[in-house]
Amino acid sequence: MTPFDFSIPINPSALTLEMLVAALGLGILILGIISPKGARSGLGWVSFLGLMGIIGVAITMWGQSGELLAGMYLLDNYALFWKITFMVAAALVILGNMRYVDKVGNQAEYYSLTIFATLGMMVMASAGDLMTLYLGLELMTIAFVILVCLRKTDNKSVEAGMKYILLAGMSSAVLLYGLSLLYGLTGSVIMLDISRIIAMQPVSPALVLALVMIIAGLGFKISAVPFHMWSPDVYEGAPTPVTSFLSMGSKAASFAIILRLFITALPGVWENWAMVIAILAGITIIIGNLVAMPQTNIKRLLAYSSIAQAGYIMVGMVTASEAGIKGVMFYAFLYVFATAGAFTVAAYFYNVTGSDELKDYAGLSQRSPLMAAVMLVALLSMAGIPPLAGFVGKFYLFKTIVDGYLWLVFIGLIMSMVSVYYYLRVALVMYRDEPKDPSPINVSGPVTVTLILTMLVTLIIGIYPGPLSEVVNSAAHSFFLH
Amino acid sequence: MSDWAGVFIFFTVALVFGAGGILTSFLIQPRRANPVKMEEYECGVPTIGPTWVQFRTSYFLYALLFVIFDVETIYLYPWAVRFNNMQIFTFIEMIIFIFILIVGLWYAWKEGALEWK
Repeated sequence: MTPFDFSIPINPSALTLEMLVAALGLGILILGIISPKGARSGLGWVSFLGLMGIIGVAITMWGQSGELLAGMYLLDNYALFWKITFMVAAALVILGNMRYVDKVGNQAEYYSLTIFATLGMMVMASAGDLMTLYLGLELMTIAFVILVCLRKTDNKSVEAGMKYILLAGMSSAVLLYGLSLLYGLTGSVIMLDISRIIAMQPVSPALVLALVMIIAGLGFKISAVPFHMWSPDVYEGAPTPVTSFLSMGSKAASFAIILRLFITALPGVWENWAMVIAILAGITIIIGNLVAMPQTNIKRLLAYSSIAQAGYIMVGMVTASEAGIKGVMFYAFLYVFATAGAFTVAAYFYNVTGSDELKDYAGLSQRSPLMAAVMLVALLSMAGIPPLAGFVGKFYLFKTIVDGYLWLVFIGLIMSMVSVYYYLRVALVMYRDEPKDPSPINVSGPVTVTLILTMLVTLIIGIYPGPLSEVVNSAAHSFFLH
Repeated sequence: MSDWAGVFIFFTVALVFGAGGILTSFLIQPRRANPVKMEEYECGVPTIGPTWVQFRTSYFLYALLFVIFDVETIYLYPWAVRFNNMQIFTFIEMIIFIFILIVGLWYAWKEGALEWK
């Protein structure tokens, strides 16, 4: 092969999903340019229906597997499951927040960047080498930076954007250091090759340094303690739909890539690191839940709760087994629905009242029974109360570590109980307190659909987890076939 | 000696080179200030007016737009070199690439990034 040989055999149909999403994002941007200002609120529907169509295509691709470009891009059920999760998250965020976005303005930018962020996540889920990983990560991060400061006239939003871009840049730099050390040690950026070469070498100090840096860099993205400082400020300042997409999409994508990187590229090494991840998970669960307790702003409360949730998901990474991967994917999927429900309520509430303060939620059950019910179900699911999906998710996660990490199981159980306290505090305010302004809140059609959908999915997965569990099993199984 | 020793030596030399210069000048410099010494020397001309001025964001926008064409050139050049023996697929691929860049430029134009206000 000559250095300038362009004829690398590549099958374009394998990239159908990515191309469709990219085309959708570009299409929205072009529609935004050519349509008059008044017609731009229709872009939300275009993006929603487009995403639903692509999800449909994705489901037909279930079971496909392969490698593109000598392992640079991996296609399997694992990647496909994550891609569907990201697109579902994006679709829910878009459907539930159209009016909020109309109020902010810049619809074309908002919708196209949301879709490009989704594209970045999808590239991450399929990444088979370090460059593709980084490319997807940056595509997602840069789209998010713009989304976070979309409310240009709001100082908090701009501040959040500044914080996010600085910390995202720093974490990317740390991650890149780690990745370049890994490349220096093995001479390859392809994960499958790296795993082969690493297996032949003894563990060197440089490898330890690379691992520490990669864990730190990706720890920022999943906001694991002690890399979580940015998330409450950014979550509070960002427009609420962006916050919700950030807390489910960006986190899920980072988990997808962490699992791929550590289990595919560093299989023999990872076992030595299980304790580090277990300790990080424990600290993250403890700090996230404890700091969430005194919060009075609903977005900050949800931010800290999402830090704690990241801790729970990390538990599934400890064993790096098929069961652990299954737990991570299962939990991430239902976490998308719980988060979408809670944040859609918060965004709609802000739209009507202009407040994110918990005390203003007083009497929400009288003003809008649906919103209060959805918030309650979402929060209880995150707390892991039995009939809801969160319980099953936590069960799958903690089941994998009962042998050997019993202390972590206890931390998880105790902190889940602690978390019930602050989740129920929200419920108390909504159901017990009398509203200051008793006027009912009329929930618009698309928001009603989003809310009912998230609530139903949370309930159904909780009562009948079988089908999703099987899908996730098959996805986790495909992970080890490369 | 492993390959990494070279990196280590390089790093050490870089450190010594930088720190050594500062240290030497610190040791042998005359410490008496005089008007000539306080003048700018090879650092440009004396400033007029306040030096903390704001730059127009338009400069930044132009720089960003420049990047569009910059990136285009990087990828177009190797493509153009091999233009004669190329599959139709590669040709279409590049058209799509240029189209994406043009959408970016179109967007910036429409948003008024090319106007000097």
